[in-house]
Amino acid sequence: MTADCEKCEELLQPYLDRELQEFERLEAERHLSLCSYCSRRYRFESDLRRFVRQATTEPMTVELRQRLAALRIAL
Amino acid sequence: MSDSSPETTQARRLASEARDRVRFEEEALALTDQVYRVARHLAGSREEAEDLMQEAYARAFRSWRSFQPGTNLRAWLLRILTNLNIDRGRRQQRTPDMQPLEAGDYFLVDRLEESGGPITDEERVDQRLSQDSIVHALSAVPHDFRDVVVLVDIGDFSYADAAQILDIPVGTVMSRLHRGRRILKGQLAEEAVGVDG
Repeated sequence: MTADCEKCEELLQPYLDRELQEFERLEAERHLSLCSYCSRRYRFESDLRRFVRQATTEPMTVELRQRLAALRIAL
Repeated sequence: MSDSSPETTQARRLASEARDRVRFEEEALALTDQVYRVARHLAGSREEAEDLMQEAYARAFRSWRSFQPGTNLRAWLLRILTNLNIDRGRRQQRTPDMQPLEAGDYFLVDRLEESGGPITDEERVDQRLSQDSIVHALSAVPHDFRDVVVLVDIGDFSYADAAQILDIPVGTVMSRLHRGRRILKGQLAEEAVGVDG
């Protein structure tokens, strides 16, 4: 892991959040095009975020849905 | 009888308000799946999430007049819900003192590769991590950090919306998100390969 990799690691989260300034984004992409170590890690992080969204999906029960609807104030 | 008699005006006003209220309730109920998706992980358990949903919707239906039509109803509902959850959290659980967090953002993937070899291009995350481990690791992230991770990464709220829902500055959202994600990855590493970040 080089000093460039350390810098790239710092840019990982804001890069995926699209919060980097243009010059930082280009800096990250230049390094990623040359470094398989970092590009594997960026891909992993992006996949991990998708997996977190998918793994945390738990449907509401029918009973809860009915209880919420019953909270409506009668006319 | 004139159409503008006080009784008629009053009746029209009441009818109009009833229609607005019904519309509000229908719109709020149409969002229950999306609100629950976030509530489920703001709360520590399914039972707590269900209680929170009921308390939040009961409060929303009572105070529907304070919702400004045309603004983000999902964010408004979640603001009620997070406030209830924070009150409850302060009663039941203190956020533990945080240990310094030295590990960087590559920590989890480094540990997974050390224990199971390089992650190939074809390999998916779910071949190294289980769905249960994600849910468990998330529930172990302290409240203040988890709230932000759940709103942004699961609820898909912008930093600005999350800041408004939690009533904290955007800069605080960003720093808690950054740290919260690292804590989550530290927990995942611990669950997957038994090391702590």
